[in-house]
Amino acid sequence: MGKLSRMVDTDALHAWIREFARLVEQHQDLLTELDSAIGDADHGANLHRGMSAVVEVLRAETPSTPAELFKRTGMTLVSTVGGASGPLYGTAFLRMSATAGEAETLDAGDLAKILRAALEGVVTRGKAQAGDKTMYDALAPAVRALEEAVGTGQPLAEALDAAARAAERGREATTAMIARKGRASYLGERSAGHPDPGATSVTYLVVAAATALA
Amino acid sequence: MVAVVVVSHSRALARAAVALAAEMAPTARIEIAAGLDEKTLGTDATAIRSALAAADDGSGVVVLMDLGSAVLSAELALEMVDDELRSRVLLCPAPLVEGLVAAAVAAASGAGRDEVAREAIAGLAGKQAQLGEAPAPAQPAPAQPAPARPGAAQPAPAGEFGAVATVRVGNPHGLHARPAARLVTEARRLDAGVEVRNRTTGSGWVPATSLSRVATLGALRGHEIDVRASGPRARQAVDEIVAVAARQFDETPPELEKIGEWGGDDPVDVGKLDGATTGVRRGQPASAGIGLGPAWRRSSTSPDLPDEPSRGADAEWRRVTDAVAAVRREIDKIWEGNPEASIFDAHLLLLDDAELLGEARRRIDAGAAAPPAFRGAAGLIAADFDALEDPYLRGRGDDVHAVADQVLRAMLGIAERTPAGDGVLVAADLTPAEAATLDPVRVKGVLLAFGSATSHGAILARTRGIPMVVGAGPAVLSVPPGAAVALDGSTGEFAVNPPGDVLTRFRERAASRSARARAAGSRAHQPAVTADGVRIEVAANIGSLADATAAAEHGADLAGLVRTEFLFLDRAAAPGADEQFATYRQLAAALGGRRITLRTLDVGGDKPLRYAPAPHEQNPFLGVRGIRHSLAHPALFAEQLLAIARVARETPVSVMFPMVSTVAEIVAARRMLDDALARTGPAAGLRVGIMVEVPAAALRAAAFTPYVDFVSVGTNDLTQYTLAAERGNAAVPADGLDPAVLRLVGGICRRAGVPVAVCGELAGDEAAVPLLTALGVRELSVAPPAVPLVKEAVRATRLDLAGPLAERALELADAADVRRLSVQSGR
Repeated sequence: MGKLSRMVDTDALHAWIREFARLVEQHQDLLTELDSAIGDADHGANLHRGMSAVVEVLRAETPSTPAELFKRTGMTLVSTVGGASGPLYGTAFLRMSATAGEAETLDAGDLAKILRAALEGVVTRGKAQAGDKTMYDALAPAVRALEEAVGTGQPLAEALDAAARAAERGREATTAMIARKGRASYLGERSAGHPDPGATSVTYLVVAAATALA
Repeated sequence: MVAVVVVSHSRALARAAVALAAEMAPTARIEIAAGLDEKTLGTDATAIRSALAAADDGSGVVVLMDLGSAVLSAELALEMVDDELRSRVLLCPAPLVEGLVAAAVAAASGAGRDEVAREAIAGLAGKQAQLGEAPAPAQPAPAQPAPARPGAAQPAPAGEFGAVATVRVGNPHGLHARPAARLVTEARRLDAGVEVRNRTTGSGWVPATSLSRVATLGALRGHEIDVRASGPRARQAVDEIVAVAARQFDETPPELEKIGEWGGDDPVDVGKLDGATTGVRRGQPASAGIGLGPAWRRSSTSPDLPDEPSRGADAEWRRVTDAVAAVRREIDKIWEGNPEASIFDAHLLLLDDAELLGEARRRIDAGAAAPPAFRGAAGLIAADFDALEDPYLRGRGDDVHAVADQVLRAMLGIAERTPAGDGVLVAADLTPAEAATLDPVRVKGVLLAFGSATSHGAILARTRGIPMVVGAGPAVLSVPPGAAVALDGSTGEFAVNPPGDVLTRFRERAASRSARARAAGSRAHQPAVTADGVRIEVAANIGSLADATAAAEHGADLAGLVRTEFLFLDRAAAPGADEQFATYRQLAAALGGRRITLRTLDVGGDKPLRYAPAPHEQNPFLGVRGIRHSLAHPALFAEQLLAIARVARETPVSVMFPMVSTVAEIVAARRMLDDALARTGPAAGLRVGIMVEVPAAALRAAAFTPYVDFVSVGTNDLTQYTLAAERGNAAVPADGLDPAVLRLVGGICRRAGVPVAVCGELAGDEAAVPLLTALGVRELSVAPPAVPLVKEAVRATRLDLAGPLAERALELADAADVRRLSVQSGR
């Protein structure tokens, strides 16, 4: 029970965002490379620009609640990313903020709810379905894995690990898919053979959670 | 004056476009939200929000966007502004440059918001007229732009319809739920704004993508329906709709007859059903057992709504979308277990219904909390149905209420309503979801006006041991709650308010049946040996870990059929060999290490996998399914064979390939299996077989002998392929006891040269046990709870007597004669 009731505070969530920013920076070239194979070669640069801005904004003034942290992250991404990942990640973080509500700290169940809200935000914004070769294909299995792990009472660290593994598998599965959304969809069959850059970056978001929050 | 906001990735592009428009309309009010800065391409939702606020003077704002993130950012910006401003903004799908010029001119001349948007969309007309019709795009065109408000209805603007046609409704009951759902599905698939109206009644145009709106056309047989479409693929869209209409919206003729039969001119009233005057009536047997008890109907009470104020339109709307998403997941889950649960199509479409969601949204925007807003919207839609003349369509209002209640329960966090009641459930039909949640202790039986004994609801009722009679006729729907009902699910007999002697007869049957069940249960774990000493393996068909556990409890000798589809459906990517291996091993463990017969993935075009996209097939049951599908997806197949080979090294495993029809298929499959075994090392206990479901394979069973260790007859598909009768269709008899099917089974047993199993529904039919075993079948694989009684049926069989019986059965006219013979001979 001790492990189950483990809570995550704003500082820990802040660390998560920073870790995500770090992964995006580290893999910026890979993201751009993937995007150049099937899109307009800007995902790495765009997201890096956005997350660097987020890190700056959060450093300048430390948010006091999870909701505020997510809201500022989302709003910053919305106005600095530029490409489709701006409104998509922006919506995801804004939904996370709304779901976090007044809470000061979050437990594993809250995190599952928050990521579910993020996923539904992505669906609302992008109209993506499973198999469209988008970030949905990595985020959805991650959320499901997290919900299942939480439902069966697994400790936070293991639940997040399961989510990260599920995201990774989902990301890998996008390799074979044919894009049906965004600019990659113009390539049709030729979009198969590379993992989706959005699925890749959102996998980093989940992996970052497993690293920073466990 | 109506203002225009230009959203673009490029500030330079936006400025140039505005300059172009200003030449035509210098006084137009145009705001720009473009680029992240002078040089950086990108769109910024907060900048769009500011532009909207700057543009708004109360008379309306039309937003024109370039592509991709411009659309997403504009939608997000719309979420960020207050409700009042949002109500004045329209996101317009017009092309940016042409649209802007046309919009600026219209706005400057004082046009209203919607007219400005229409002009913008029509901005392409000049160029199209000059250059002729554009070639159809090679790739699917990008999805239609989303409506400005989530879920709001989006009627295409007038004057933009590139194609029109008129079709006549040929379906005897008009465009009732299923054909209407077919039309809506087709319209949604097509990349064009399709609208329809009932020319005969002079109705207005409605979007063909809205099930509720299409149903309100009240389109009866013989009515003429006008179809029109807009967009670059309008002609193609109208042609497709005309083609679907010509096929009577893919409604199968037998289904039409069935409805005609029950909805005929000679309604039976409840008085005639009363046992005192007419005695026992007969429907069709669907799930064996005696059901006695008071009639009850599904509760129509909706959940109580809490009296709470709105927490703001955005929050309330999110409650609606979250609840709808949750219900969608629930329905998806049922799909997962029941690949044929197409009955939920109409429900899924309702969850998507722009009319329903748009009305809910309007009410929320007007200050209502989500639950009353949604219920009110559903009530309105249902009222549209209730006002229709056709009784069948009128009944579809119930669907709306049912779905609405499900959404409300999800919204309020109330547990899923189980159809709860004590006694005999009387209903029109039973969904698999309902069948799966009935409490077998409280529900003594199910009496359905319609339905089919081969439906998934019926299969679930059998699995759960709930007696059921189907096809009892619509008159049973007027049986008053509380009336005494007696039914026999083995014979199809039922009686309402039966007189004492009839009731006694049913009671005696119930007593003798439960005595038999007790005796069977006590011997379930012993082998099944015929009275003259031949051992018959009685196996279980399983499709989940729970089934495997139940199979072990009920004394199954092995798992004769593991439907591995449960691992593959409703997920974005295929399970890897590791995951499959782990699951197969769990199944074997749950069965205490008894042999498991793994059927490789059996899917096809009727239930495509998301990760193995399949082309559209006119008739998926005669298309790429079963082993054909596996051979067409070698990577997927190899992964499954690898998992099977690995688990076969640890525990006794048989593998069988579904829907084999040619020797080449089994040769190819075995080669791939050998490849897998080359990677894992040999598996001593592995047996290889095929499912015989196609008459071609049944007739040439000997040709397969060199390649297999056993064959298993899938009587469900073999029956439907032999008799050309779809098993879910109550109007066409698809009884596996048909002499034609029995002849095929007999032929397989004589020619196969390897042990023959039967793993279809027929194996669990006690009347079939002596015939099948006499024909040479040595393994019967059945639903787990049926194992004990099938073992008893084996023990009661004498093959020396059953042999001549089977000989005679092969000569009879039809399945009904075979069943009579079986009854006469003392079964």
